[in-house]
Amino acid sequence: MVQYGGDEVAALVVDIGHSSVRAGYAGDDTPKAIIPTSYGYTYESPGNGQDVQMDDSAPPALKKKFHVGQSGPSIYRPGMEVGHPLTDGLITDFEPIQPLLDHAITKVLGCNPAEHPILVTEPAWNTPEDRERMAEIIFEQFNAPAFYIANTGVLNAFAAGKGNALVIDVGQNMASVTPVMDGFVLRKGLQYSPLAGTIHSRAHNLLLSPAQYRPQGIALFPHQLIKDKLSVEPGQQPIFSLREDRLPGVTESWRAWYEAREVDEWLQSVGGVLDSGWNDQLVQSRPPRQYEFPTGLNSMFGAERYFIGEQYFHNQQQQQVPQTARSLTALLSDSLRSYDVELRQVLVGNVVLTGGGSLLPGFADRLNTELSRTFQHVKIHAPGNPIERRYGGWLGGSILGSLGTFHQLWISKEEWQEHGKAIIAQRCK
Amino acid sequence: MASGIAVSPKCLEEFQTLKLGKKTKYIIYRINNEKTEIVVEKTSDSASYDEFIADLPETECRWAVYDFEFEKEGEGKRNKICFFMWSPDDAKIKDKMLFASSKDALRRSLVGIAVEIQGTDYSEVAHESILDKANRGH
Repeated sequence: MVQYGGDEVAALVVDIGHSSVRAGYAGDDTPKAIIPTSYGYTYESPGNGQDVQMDDSAPPALKKKFHVGQSGPSIYRPGMEVGHPLTDGLITDFEPIQPLLDHAITKVLGCNPAEHPILVTEPAWNTPEDRERMAEIIFEQFNAPAFYIANTGVLNAFAAGKGNALVIDVGQNMASVTPVMDGFVLRKGLQYSPLAGTIHSRAHNLLLSPAQYRPQGIALFPHQLIKDKLSVEPGQQPIFSLREDRLPGVTESWRAWYEAREVDEWLQSVGGVLDSGWNDQLVQSRPPRQYEFPTGLNSMFGAERYFIGEQYFHNQQQQQVPQTARSLTALLSDSLRSYDVELRQVLVGNVVLTGGGSLLPGFADRLNTELSRTFQHVKIHAPGNPIERRYGGWLGGSILGSLGTFHQLWISKEEWQEHGKAIIAQRCK
Repeated sequence: MASGIAVSPKCLEEFQTLKLGKKTKYIIYRINNEKTEIVVEKTSDSASYDEFIADLPETECRWAVYDFEFEKEGEGKRNKICFFMWSPDDAKIKDKMLFASSKDALRRSLVGIAVEIQGTDYSEVAHESILDKANRGH
């Protein structure tokens, strides 16, 4: 039996986000394994790895084969579909979780999960069913000796050195505001919306539609489908040819995945946020940035790059799109409204900004401007190091998991076998 | 969620002396080097607030209890026991995490704290801001 006495518990920390699954050893400052959460899958008949069919009336004998990791969805395979296990930050499809974690732990990290306690993170709005299912996978499929599930909001607050904090987490799909008091989430003020995902699809529409100096929308073909291309002057129509042999094997879901990835890369390269609020003249005076797409098209982006960033704070299209996600400003005011003045002041004095989506230039300054309109003493803790910002939840878990004294909280396999699911809610508060 | 770090009995003893004896002015707490227990780093009788602030290191976390004496407008002298969570921005991330997750254990064992302060830079623990907080209560 594994003993968790000293400081060396060699625990693993697993953080499943929308963009990537992060796994690594507790005590490290960056996760060693970072793989995309999206996974590809193909169907093949057992015993014959080469024969791939895309037939809707496929007999049940066909086996679903998962393609995960860095060479998972990003490699072209004829007929490959791409799926994603999360919906609104929660795991709704548990089937790919086992292959994803297995790839991250045994292939990338190269260790045996049965020898290490595993700490998993969860969003603040996770359901009891989901965390029990997670425990089941870790204990039954990975045979881990111990398990703990911790809240990303709390982990981010702790990693910033705060017991009380307002954690603003902007990911690739979700944006959330989590008030934390003495290391516990205050449920009442917890607010979240699929804001980042909505913004991504808006950016997508923006790029696909023709603009003032761009008579045609941009073709978002990935490099996997491009045979050759010529360099053209900025703003000119791209000259490229496609790999016609691959086109018939492109599925709708793979296309959606690569287009979303092109949009994401565009946004991360040129996107920005005006630090003092939207102002048409100010936008015109900012220098445009150049970006080249895989097709060879390169164009200058001026107002557009700020227009998208602005949506995080003000949803200008609220009326046109009814089920649109609430903007960050709306989330913040909805959250703070639940508390009295004194508590509000404590929270805005301890804001922790985290998540990869918050890395757009000017984001933290703009948040400061927005909050300072209503509150006197605003203090935002936003780590300058992009790794700390992107993997804040993992980092918090890494530190917590490396503590020798944390061992009393681990749920051991024996306890799991004796008490079953009930122990999860009891121990992981 | 907590780190599971224990509070040494000495922490409580010193706190009782401060609370009942009215002689000790402040106590500084820290986590021992083995990271298993919260221990008393220093106790002091000095009435100088500046000296207390000087005992909060620039790049390390601490907790502190300070017996704050102030003049309430028109109501005479008052005393309030303040609890400080000192977690400077420049401290190491592991240190911050340890202190943040262990705070609850210490804070819960200290009964009779009137004001709680979470400080990340020296302006947040300045005399005026504490005075402001202490005055706001009853």
